[in-house]
Amino acid sequence: MTKLLLAEFTRPEAMLAAARNVDQSGCRLADAFTPFPIEEMAELLDAASTSLRVYMFIGGLIFAVGAYATESLSAVYLYPFDSGGRPLYSWATFVMFPFAIGIFGAALIGFIVTMVKTGLPRLHHPLFSFEPLERATQDRFILALEPPHATSLEARARAWLIEAGAIDVTEAET
Amino acid sequence: MSFAPDRRDALKLLAMGATAALGACGPPEEEIVPYVEMPEGLTPGVPMQFTTALPLSGYARGALVTSYEGRPTRIEGNPRHPASLGACDIFAQAEIMTLYNPDRAKAVLNEGNLSSWEDFEKALLSQMQIERGRRGSKLTILTGRVTSPTMVRQIQALLKSFPGAQWRRYEPIHDDAEISGATMAFGRPLLPIPRLDQAAVVVSLDADPLGPGPYQLAYAYAFAQKRLARKGVIQFGRLYAVESCLSLTGANSDERLALPPHLIRGFIVDIANRLGAKLPQEALGDDASRFAAAVVEDLKANPGHGVFLVGRGQPAETHALCHWINRALKAPVDYFPPVDPVASTHVDSLRGLVEDIDNGRVESLFIIGCNPAYAAPGELAVDDAIAKVPFSAYHGLYDDETAARCKWRLPLSHTLESWSDLRALDGAVSVVQPLIRPLYDTRTAHQLLALMGGMLSASSYQLVRETLQARAPRDFETHWRQWLHDGIIQGSANAPLAPPNVTLPHMDPLQAPRGPSLTFAPDPSIWDGSYANNAWLQECPKPTTKEVWGNSIHISPSDAAANDLEEGDIVTLRRGEHSLEAPVNIVQGQAAGVLGATLGYGRRRAGAIGEGLGFDAYKLMPIGTPWAAHNVALSRTGARSTILRTQRSFHLAPERREIYPTVTLQGFTEGNIDISERRGLPTLLPEWEYDSYKWAMSIDNTLCIGCNACLVACRSENNVPVVGPIEVSMGREMHWLRVDVYYRDEPTPLGFQPVPCMHCEKAPCEPVCPVEASVHDSEGLNVQVYNRCIGTRFCQSNCPYKVRRFNFFGYATDDVYANLHAQSFDAQFNPDVTVRSRGVMEKCTYCLQRISRARRTAEKENRRIAEGEIVTACQAACPTRAIIFGDLSNADGKVSQLRNEPQHYEMLGHLGTRPRTTYLAAIENPNPALREKEE
Amino acid sequence: MSASNEVPAKAERWLQPPGRSYEAINELVSAPLLKRKKWSWKFWWIAFMASLALTALMLVCISWLFTKGVGLWGVNTTNVWGFAIANYVWWIGIGNAGTLISAMLLLMRQRWRASINRFAEAMTLFAAGIAGLFPILHLGRPLYFYWLVPYPNTMALWPQWRSALIWDFWAILSYILFSILFWYSGLIPDLACVRDRAKTPGARFWFGVFALGWRGSARHWQIYHVYHTTMACLGVPLVISLHSVVGLDFAASLMPGWSETIYPPYFVVGAMYSGFTMVIALAAAVRWGFSLQALITVDHFDVMAKILLAASIIMSISYMTEWFGAWYSGEHEERSLVAYEFRGHYRALYYAMLFCNCFLPQIFWFRAARRNIALVVVVGLVINIGMWLERINIVWITLSHGYAVSMWRVFHPTYWDYLLMFSSLGLFALLYLLLCRLAPIVSMHETRRLLSQEAQQ
Repeated sequence: MTKLLLAEFTRPEAMLAAARNVDQSGCRLADAFTPFPIEEMAELLDAASTSLRVYMFIGGLIFAVGAYATESLSAVYLYPFDSGGRPLYSWATFVMFPFAIGIFGAALIGFIVTMVKTGLPRLHHPLFSFEPLERATQDRFILALEPPHATSLEARARAWLIEAGAIDVTEAET
Repeated sequence: MSFAPDRRDALKLLAMGATAALGACGPPEEEIVPYVEMPEGLTPGVPMQFTTALPLSGYARGALVTSYEGRPTRIEGNPRHPASLGACDIFAQAEIMTLYNPDRAKAVLNEGNLSSWEDFEKALLSQMQIERGRRGSKLTILTGRVTSPTMVRQIQALLKSFPGAQWRRYEPIHDDAEISGATMAFGRPLLPIPRLDQAAVVVSLDADPLGPGPYQLAYAYAFAQKRLARKGVIQFGRLYAVESCLSLTGANSDERLALPPHLIRGFIVDIANRLGAKLPQEALGDDASRFAAAVVEDLKANPGHGVFLVGRGQPAETHALCHWINRALKAPVDYFPPVDPVASTHVDSLRGLVEDIDNGRVESLFIIGCNPAYAAPGELAVDDAIAKVPFSAYHGLYDDETAARCKWRLPLSHTLESWSDLRALDGAVSVVQPLIRPLYDTRTAHQLLALMGGMLSASSYQLVRETLQARAPRDFETHWRQWLHDGIIQGSANAPLAPPNVTLPHMDPLQAPRGPSLTFAPDPSIWDGSYANNAWLQECPKPTTKEVWGNSIHISPSDAAANDLEEGDIVTLRRGEHSLEAPVNIVQGQAAGVLGATLGYGRRRAGAIGEGLGFDAYKLMPIGTPWAAHNVALSRTGARSTILRTQRSFHLAPERREIYPTVTLQGFTEGNIDISERRGLPTLLPEWEYDSYKWAMSIDNTLCIGCNACLVACRSENNVPVVGPIEVSMGREMHWLRVDVYYRDEPTPLGFQPVPCMHCEKAPCEPVCPVEASVHDSEGLNVQVYNRCIGTRFCQSNCPYKVRRFNFFGYATDDVYANLHAQSFDAQFNPDVTVRSRGVMEKCTYCLQRISRARRTAEKENRRIAEGEIVTACQAACPTRAIIFGDLSNADGKVSQLRNEPQHYEMLGHLGTRPRTTYLAAIENPNPALREKEE
Repeated sequence: MSASNEVPAKAERWLQPPGRSYEAINELVSAPLLKRKKWSWKFWWIAFMASLALTALMLVCISWLFTKGVGLWGVNTTNVWGFAIANYVWWIGIGNAGTLISAMLLLMRQRWRASINRFAEAMTLFAAGIAGLFPILHLGRPLYFYWLVPYPNTMALWPQWRSALIWDFWAILSYILFSILFWYSGLIPDLACVRDRAKTPGARFWFGVFALGWRGSARHWQIYHVYHTTMACLGVPLVISLHSVVGLDFAASLMPGWSETIYPPYFVVGAMYSGFTMVIALAAAVRWGFSLQALITVDHFDVMAKILLAASIIMSISYMTEWFGAWYSGEHEERSLVAYEFRGHYRALYYAMLFCNCFLPQIFWFRAARRNIALVVVVGLVINIGMWLERINIVWITLSHGYAVSMWRVFHPTYWDYLLMFSSLGLFALLYLLLCRLAPIVSMHETRRLLSQEAQQ
């Protein structure tokens, strides 16, 4: 049960400016909601780095190796036979299948990990009940801030935000 | 009344009839003697072989019939029989298809209404009473050529009791000219049989010893003996062919000259004169006389080893002159007394019948086993004549054209259902023993004749035994068993006569015809038309044109250009009031001014398969000169039709010669054989080890005469389905083994090359199959696993030899041509071979079933399979032994040895496929004298 | 909308007014989905009915094919492959372009792709799906196609991994699954957008479900962005390997004219070539159908025409390489095959192909031609026909003129061949039309980003 200030901006630049100097408002930057990805915002939230690619690489590798193992095992041990006098272990011809399936594997693992890391799918979220957020997926750039506890300070923060270009500041609770 | 069902209806009806027959399946009641085992040794699933003999134009060819639990499925040659020598021609093999043919006549019909043998017997007896009254003066029996001693005996007995009766006999493919020619030369009818295996020089004038016929196998075998070029042994003759239409003999010749009939006459006269006959010289072109000169030189160079042959198409005096020449050359020819007991010529015999009928001298007519209403010169109008006879009975296999004109239609038993006896060209007698109880309520000719003689319940078995009793008065039973076992009565052949003195015939000058001549020849696939309803033969490509499911007018390129005709253009041929329409087929090597037609097509009543195909050339056949109609009028109709062919172009570009290289005998002896083949190419892959048998096949292109015996053998052995004309036109025929034909030397002669699966060690078809339907077995066979095949067809698209065949439809089961929807057809299947279903690929297996059978026996006796123990179907049928199958791991096996021959080559070896089927390049023996001048 | 967030026009403009505000973009794209009433669906219904009829026809063709067998087609003992294979290669070619555009152009920082990649990816999905159908229909016994999968079975059988068809099977399968993920993950933020714009509870619910509760959180965006770009990086090698494998179906054989090392790259370019023409056609259709002139501008067609021009030049070079290779190899079979291409039974088709793929596209050297949308579309379609001809030529010419001279035969298509080919277009159109009504046809979030990026210049 934390209280948040949602500051709406119409331009990403304004939002970023505000976010950079958010300390002046005495608030702490909690999150931002934008209609398209803004790299700098991620940095400000220090969420820039992610291990997703590593997971994808490993996932792909597992799929590929699995496929190659299936091929070699079945062709050499489980079901060996003379196919046009070619060697049982025709590695060159075993490459394509692992390659293709490996890439799919990476994609699949990547999707799953993305879901896990983002906590999606989560069809309902407390913030959905706050009208401004609807515009975040459309054309509004919203900063979510944890205001200072003292109400006086909070009022200052709101004023500062309006000054910084926010067209509106509303309260929300999560 | 005209009941005209469309093709498919007809097929269905026939099917219904055929199914009724199956109950009859089973061995005949009388004991028949198996070739290898006694019947009590019968174990289910293990086939037994019985000997019998099968007639072609009345003459016997010995056969070995494989039978599963009393169900004949496969016909091969009887090695002890002089007319087959172990090989088997296409007609004999296809008799299986005829036996189970649902179109066969199955019941007695009277005026087209269902009747019974009993009714016929009643009618017959009263009719014979009448005839007896007038001593048979109005009784006539019409047969084809009869060689069966029993039948001859019966007929003569009848003639004795009916002195006034007439015996007419007419064989569509007759030898009138030969016989009368011999009579002209020797003063008595004689049958010349050349010993080709002793002839260094063979000159064939319109003759076709290698072509289809009752003695083809024997001739081909003998010919092959003089076609042998191996390291060390060289027995090689030279074959000259002078002919109007391209025959198999011409195709296989070393030197060929295409001449119109009248010039051929001039040619032989020229030869005769060069050999000392003082005949008035006749017109002859420069090329022809140069050719003649070369021939004569060659003949003189080989005294006693040159032989002259003249074909049935030539007039009698030409034959006589040929005899004179052969005597002059001391040619290796045997003269036999004719087996055919009837003296008069076939044409006279038939003409006599028609006259008799027209003059009301025939009131009871019995037609046995021949179809003159169709297969006779059109101008005789035999069919109308027959219709006039008040009491006429037709005894035949099919409800055909003649049957339609007769009051009584009596179903005849197939040879494989009947006891009888037959004689070969040289007189050798074989007993015909039935392999199966008659499928339908049919009777043999013997039974009918007995019936006419008043014997109601005669058994052919007894009749035959009575006839042969004389040959072994003492201890008949042992002899009988021996005869049945051997399939031939030893020593029954006529002894060749010492050649009597020959008189030089008087040749009255012949004037050149004004218009084009139309020559007639038996069809290489369906003979005289009697095999028209046989699907196997209809789909058997004609050797020199690769045409199937029809015939065409063969025309020379020059004539075609002159009349601006293209292949498939339909023309009208008119001779007198008779005319016919037919598509033309432009044939290289056809003599200018000569049109060629094959007989047997245009059947009006043949059955579901045979009707409505091709045109009936008999219509234009003259009585006087039956084999050539002169001055026919040719005009184009403007209509077109496609000629169905399984191979389009016979031309090989020089750089593609490696597919079918040729070597001259001279080159072979001198050892300069330039077969441009690249073999043993380096490979990055490790070699695959074959530790057990290594099956391989070697095919000698020199020996292959293109007779198609192998092709039909394969079809019959491996249940290869017939696909029918529509599917052939789509290019989907299924022959596992095809016989390719290429110009050896444009335009002729031709070279033939049987192409089964190559069973490549580095098979391109295998690695591309995603489901291992196409794999290699431990013995190096490239096997196709039908039930694993999903039909990607990658294997065929990647097969450089294109030997795989795909079931685009359910040819073996659903397709109407496969079985006419008749269960009786299923009886013909080889139970050891899977019947392939729709959507799977199939191909030559080297007769895997025969290999595994041999392996089973060998393993029982725990030994290796011996050399020559396995004989593939194609190999067994081949009259010239061009196909050899064996085990490569056996270094001194025949196959291994052939691989060391200098002319040995791998087809497309440069692809590195390492085929197990390899070839010996065709060796030809042209006459240098003729070749030099050409340059 | 308040004019406050109207972005001022800058140097390069991939977006035209009135598309130059975030809200305008949202409105333009989501209107067909949310404001159906005020939208005229007349042409949509006409197209839908037409494609529905064609799809029904396709079903008829397929069921009759299954009843009767592949004998219905013109395939024969020599030309055992026919339309089915050509159609397959053609469709899979089209199926490649979508990923190429969204992945390769993304990596190449071609920002303009933003407004076209979405429906290009959808095109990929459907085309690849249809392509995957043909090899199965081509089988003699289609019901056993699953034997290509290594599944446990009582006979302990396994697929034959050396066969190019196996590689093919897996490449297509992986590609289709990959494309689904790529397309759907790209769709999520837009679905969220539509969800939030939707008025009716139904729409809110369904778009909401598929939006997976996307909130546009910057943290999510970060992960999402990484995933999307990584997918793009993976997509490029996948799509290239896929069509290389298709090329290997032929190149891994030993038939003259097939067994050529140039095939894989040559097939990839061919795929891009025919695929782009399809994208152009669809772009024009979408642009007109949903009046998206603001988002899909003439410049888009201009630049895509340039790509076509480049591709046509590469194709022409590939053809010439083929001819040269044949001559240089010294193999008479190869040479005679090239001769057959120009003088054989299919020469008309071959010349037509050269015209469509090599000569016609050269008009794109002219700027005017590139900026004439109608012309670009028409030329594109002609090229696409040319590419189909190329595929059928590859199949027919080699098979008809192989090593076995005695088996040289010509392919005569039956009407079933044609019916199935054309009706498959119907299925494609049907799927596409349905998509237009169910999901945003242009990627809104990427377009918005494009807009802001343009603004910063």
